[in-house]
Amino acid sequence: MLIPKLAKKRRTTALVVLSLLLLGASCGSSTGSNQVAISANQETATTEAVTTTTEAVDETTTTEVMEPEFPEAIISLSPTATEILFAIGAGGQVVAVDEYSTYPEEAPTTDLSGFTPNIEAIAEYEPDLVVISYDPGDLVVGLELLDIDVVMQGTALSVEDTYSQITELGELTGHSEEAQELSDSISADLASLAENPVGTGLTYFHEVDATLYTATSSTFIGQLYALLGLENIADPADEQGWGYPQLSPEYIVSANPDLIFLADAIYGESLDTLMERPGWSEITAVQNYAVIELDETSGRWGPRIVDFLTGIHAAITDLTS
Amino acid sequence: MRASRNKDKEEKLEAPAKLKAWWLVLAATTAVVAVGLGLTLGPASLGVREVLLEVLDRLPFVDYDSGLSEREQAIVWEIRLPRVVLGLLVGSMLATAGASYQGVFRNPLADPYLLGVAAGAGFGATVAIVSDLGDGIGTFDAVPMLAFGGALVAVSLTYLVGFSARRSDPVTSLVLAGVAVASFFTAIQTFVQQRDSETIRQVYFFVLGQLRTAGWDEVILVSPYVGGCLFILLLLRRRLDVLAVGDEEAGSLGIDVRLVRLVSVLAASLGTAAVVAVSGLIGFVGIIVPHTIRLIFGFSYRIILPLTILFGGAFLVGADLVARLVLEPAEIPIGVVTAFMGAPFFVLVLRTSRKL
Amino acid sequence: MEAISCRSLRVNFGSTEVLRGIDLEVPKGGWTTVVGPNGSGKTTLLRSIAGIQASQGVIQIDGHSLGAFNRREVAKQIAIVPQQPVIPDGMRIIDYVLLGRTSHLGFFGIEKKSDIEIAQSALEELDVNFSESRTMGTLSGGERQRVVVARALTQGSPILLLDEPTTSLDIGHQQEMLEVVDELRSRLGLTVLATMHDLTLAGQYAESLILIEQGQVVASGSAQEVLTEDLITHHYRASIKVIEDDSGPIVTPVRRKNSNSLE
Repeated sequence: MLIPKLAKKRRTTALVVLSLLLLGASCGSSTGSNQVAISANQETATTEAVTTTTEAVDETTTTEVMEPEFPEAIISLSPTATEILFAIGAGGQVVAVDEYSTYPEEAPTTDLSGFTPNIEAIAEYEPDLVVISYDPGDLVVGLELLDIDVVMQGTALSVEDTYSQITELGELTGHSEEAQELSDSISADLASLAENPVGTGLTYFHEVDATLYTATSSTFIGQLYALLGLENIADPADEQGWGYPQLSPEYIVSANPDLIFLADAIYGESLDTLMERPGWSEITAVQNYAVIELDETSGRWGPRIVDFLTGIHAAITDLTS
Repeated sequence: MRASRNKDKEEKLEAPAKLKAWWLVLAATTAVVAVGLGLTLGPASLGVREVLLEVLDRLPFVDYDSGLSEREQAIVWEIRLPRVVLGLLVGSMLATAGASYQGVFRNPLADPYLLGVAAGAGFGATVAIVSDLGDGIGTFDAVPMLAFGGALVAVSLTYLVGFSARRSDPVTSLVLAGVAVASFFTAIQTFVQQRDSETIRQVYFFVLGQLRTAGWDEVILVSPYVGGCLFILLLLRRRLDVLAVGDEEAGSLGIDVRLVRLVSVLAASLGTAAVVAVSGLIGFVGIIVPHTIRLIFGFSYRIILPLTILFGGAFLVGADLVARLVLEPAEIPIGVVTAFMGAPFFVLVLRTSRKL
Repeated sequence: MEAISCRSLRVNFGSTEVLRGIDLEVPKGGWTTVVGPNGSGKTTLLRSIAGIQASQGVIQIDGHSLGAFNRREVAKQIAIVPQQPVIPDGMRIIDYVLLGRTSHLGFFGIEKKSDIEIAQSALEELDVNFSESRTMGTLSGGERQRVVVARALTQGSPILLLDEPTTSLDIGHQQEMLEVVDELRSRLGLTVLATMHDLTLAGQYAESLILIEQGQVVASGSAQEVLTEDLITHHYRASIKVIEDDSGPIVTPVRRKNSNSLE
């Protein structure tokens, strides 16, 4: 959820907006049902015809029919993947998620780590599928040695990646229909937000951390901002196109953004701390209190990107009215 | 029974090693030029004339309108100037501390980090960052405090360990103790740093060194230490020359070697700890600057120390300019710039080390 | 009041006894040379008196206990020329010699004209060419030794300790240096305590000799009394001959055809 940090008198408005967003986002997903399907290799997610002529409908068979197997003991070490899994109705198939998978609430959070994963700890849950977004070097190899299926869904570079990850998880878990619905819904929501680009003509600075790393418009989050017509002050600074340059305070002050988004608000940055930085009190965004604190959704590329962008949209609308 | 003497040489008075006045002027000018460049260059394009007027405007009884907006003025006074001043302070302290260490330890490769100052500061800073202590700008207030404390603890530990060794050669014991203490602190620093993946970048930011300031606060914080320590080291410069002949001979010439060594090391370490706490671990300054001065101007510390103060400051401001401008508007950590300069420099030292 | 006076001087390096109770006296203005075979403790003796070697027993300088002086006071009283001095290659000669004035300088350590003159004349006395650009690293072995002596002379201390001051010098420069020292001794009333391995020269320039072996005094007195064939042959285990001369006994090695006839 977004918590736009605005001047005190606008807080009530924010709360109202927030509640509306909460209601909107809690569209429940259908409960997963294990479809009986004839499938073979999970990683290719294709269905193959069985050679016998009998159609097995329930679990008991007498011939050697490949059982329809969708994983029932999924472990997700990627907070975004967790969100996707629950959003497409596969939540019941998930047995454990990593420590940072805080959404949705019903997700079975454990102290497994997505950054320094311990293979034995993972194996203890006897998973039949592990979804990761980061491999420090030996995770995939290790899991394969233990004969555990693993799928890697790295950080999305664009919204297209989000859709393909949703589709992939849908196929793996037997929720392809819900997956398609989810993708369509996200796409539609984003399109409708883009139809009203309230950020047109405004510049912004997205602060990743207090050492002034930022994200340009070529990054995932930058693309989202661009949907609203926002212009990123870091773009001219990133000739090589790496996406995450580190800016100097002088550059930021001189570029004078209209809006500042603090992804490091979770570490304590706020309008107050910004005002203490030398020279920053002269920035338009600071003077107009147009400093918006982001929560952890800004780091995810799953279904809640809609919530994120909606929140930004609302915050900007508030500020400019 | 005397053999031929040098009577045919003209009997002019042979001057001892002396700091020539024009060298001082040259050094001061270099520093001023560096400051000037530091104030006028940067991603925000402010004209030289405007900056000059702005600076003059602040002088008492002088009133100019520089034509800069409030924001641009803030850039000059709150971002650029404190940064440049900090560069002067840090550069002069590191260079002079390095020169002093080289005198005390009679080793051309001694630098201010020899006794564990860097490792201790790095450890303190890492702890501060990882445990998210302090208020203010993220963790920046706790960082200098713990970095400073860490540096002092490391140096004290080095002295304790060095003394307890009771070898006949106190200098070697200190150096070895310093190596041991530094390794120890580096190891736990790395361990602490690796445990928290979210703050790794902040830790590296500190370790690689930066002159990014939180305004004048850091300058004020550091100035008394730098001022006091530089003053003490300057006072000792003649005695450092005497140390060149070794502990025993220096003692027989009338120097209290242990006291001189202790005071020099203390002053150099304290000053270094203070600047490192604020600007991170900027390396090579303490070696490049003193050696260059030695090669160009002379061997005596009466020449070297006053010049390292001025040239050291100018050097770091210059390095900071490079760090700021090369990848503008992104910045290279200044420790990387000085390291780049340091590598070829070491080759130079190796080839000319006979003279040292 | 003797210039230097030692009683029961002992020095131990760990469990090894290097000096086992030395008694020694050097009168003011006198010149005593310590001789003895390698490892007898000559250098340790000198260093103990200079205060740079820890020792037990009594050492008195001009009637005052050595331990009562601080470093600076000791330097003003005693100047030592070490056997193996540390030579900072990059230092200019004049600066090196000026180090001798350290104990006389004020708090800020600035040399006065008089200091510089003293250093210069010491170098000239010892026939060292010290043009402006010459650094210590460019000196020959012999020049180096003379420069170190010049530094000691520059200290202006009434007591001069010389540890093997002539080892690297050719015969001409050996004599020159010793003459200079002797001349300064009579002119300024210096007290000289030296160690030498050249027995003849030792006898020619010292007023009294002390022969030590294995940390103990085995003979002392005038050159004629100490430089005898018996004593030298016995303590040095050498085959020598002593020839009388006006300037003093001349000790010269001789080679016996029969290699086993060493007493």
